[in-house]
Amino acid sequence: MTRLDLEPRHVVGIVCLGGLVFAPFLLDVLTLRQLQGALFLGMFAMSWDYVSGYTGQLSFGHSMFFAAGGYSATLVNLHLGVTPVLAIVVGTVVAGLLGIIVGFPALRLRGPYLALITLIIPLILVQIANIFPGYLGGEAGLRSPDSLVSIGDTVASILTTIGFRTPFDQEVFVYYYISLLFFLGIFALFYVFTRSYVGDIFTAIREDEDAVLASGINPAKFKVFAFTMSGAVGGFAGAAFVHTGGSPSPDALLLIVVSIEVVLISILGGMGTITGPAAVGIAYYFVRDFLQTTFSHLSMVLFFALALLVLFFLPKGIVPGLSDLSRKILELRDRRANPTT
Amino acid sequence: MSSHATQSADGTARTDDVLRLENVTKRFGGVVAVDDLSFSVHDEEILGFIGPNGAGKSTTFNCVSGAFPPTDGTVYYQGEDITGVPQYALVEKGLARTYQTFRPLEDRTVLENVSLSMVPNKLFSFDEFRTTVEDRAREICQQVGLTEYMHQTPDELPHAGLLRLEVGRALGTEPELLLVDEPFAGLTPEEVERTATLFRSLREDGMTLIVIDHNMHGLLDLVDRVVVISFGEQIAEGTPDEIRNDPSVQEAYLGGEL
Repeated sequence: MTRLDLEPRHVVGIVCLGGLVFAPFLLDVLTLRQLQGALFLGMFAMSWDYVSGYTGQLSFGHSMFFAAGGYSATLVNLHLGVTPVLAIVVGTVVAGLLGIIVGFPALRLRGPYLALITLIIPLILVQIANIFPGYLGGEAGLRSPDSLVSIGDTVASILTTIGFRTPFDQEVFVYYYISLLFFLGIFALFYVFTRSYVGDIFTAIREDEDAVLASGINPAKFKVFAFTMSGAVGGFAGAAFVHTGGSPSPDALLLIVVSIEVVLISILGGMGTITGPAAVGIAYYFVRDFLQTTFSHLSMVLFFALALLVLFFLPKGIVPGLSDLSRKILELRDRRANPTT
Repeated sequence: MSSHATQSADGTARTDDVLRLENVTKRFGGVVAVDDLSFSVHDEEILGFIGPNGAGKSTTFNCVSGAFPPTDGTVYYQGEDITGVPQYALVEKGLARTYQTFRPLEDRTVLENVSLSMVPNKLFSFDEFRTTVEDRAREICQQVGLTEYMHQTPDELPHAGLLRLEVGRALGTEPELLLVDEPFAGLTPEEVERTATLFRSLREDGMTLIVIDHNMHGLLDLVDRVVVISFGEQIAEGTPDEIRNDPSVQEAYLGGEL
């Protein structure tokens, strides 16, 4: 008999995945709606980590991609009557093109200069949205585009039998699973790329570009690629968000706070891990919500104090910190099993 | 473009030249770092490229290896004009270099450092290259004498080990011409000898090498031919013995301590 020997971190991963899959049956419908929002925060954070965490090309304005995707999908749906699925494709392409445009300055500018460029672009976009409130919705945002799916009678009756009776419950249920599918798909996509040789090249660019050049690899190509793919995925998430009940507004997609939160989530979760931003993106949403409802005005003070404590005790981030811990537990288990060695 | 391989202004070019510089000049603002330099490197040769500190040796290397283009002049590699071609593209053509100030990737093991030079310069590749890359990286580590350090990070390596890692990474790109920048600086006499032996074995495998040094001790025993520059200009060229006895070289080194 072979005994399946799982590392603690894998056990944690499987438990979390199980929790996400069965969440609609464990949580009340309002919490489930929040969890759906949390999944999108995780997707946004992963898209930042893919370019900034891995290649070290810091973007402080990643909200531009979420907004580019979300707004362009909304506009083509509302004004041109494009179907939601196609609108999401349009949003993804627009954000990917924006990724190419931002990727090119990254070839000349480094560190704080690039970060400043990325910081300025969403500020410009906010102003543009305010200049054309009729067309772009201004501060209030646009009205929601069509829903990605409509729940037919058969599905509705099945959902009613498993306990989701009102149309609102049913909508939340369906949106949640669609969002979870996107979340897992994006996670798998980034996981495969970053664990392949492309990830090795990305981290090498972060460490030393001359070493990359000396290895016969063109760092410029991989930087633009990282920005393009990160932008496209961020835009896809933004477009999917607005078509599954999210609001196409600056608060949700474009404001600088969104960009900063995404950076903070990735740093707390562990830069250059993908798993870290994915997990902490979800946790972040609920911790912030808990503090807001419990402490109201003090909430952000407490929240950032908490973030500072995490960074002080787990400087590499929560997920790398916990996997170090997991490794230590394993070693301890080994030592207990073979006390002589 | 290939017709340049067999003819040049003075008609001295040989068809087996791996590398040829013609009137290469590099200016930084008003400073002339390399001044009208012309020389060639023959197939399977070890060429010494020497000169006092600040003579322009590394600048010449940078012009040849694609770090930046020369201000004037032409560089030919295997008959092809490669002036201004970026470094990664030259590495793909078989022209690799090492750095005087070592450039290891501190975040990964020695083996992974060497492996990076073997991954494709492509965004998407589904080749089953992972295991072959690792096997080849192991071989290279063994070849350059890093087997015992393979799974350690560069900050755990001694100075000589970092030099070996630089050479190992260059070997991963399967170069035909290897430019080695100041390999002997800071090495003990035994390490200089071991490193020289490594370079000789590479040449026996068919590689051509250019080795920079500012001090001639270890170098003259290793190389077949020497080009000496001072203040960016070539002042001598010849066999190691000719260079040892060349008064202008002794002059350049102030007091003739060779």
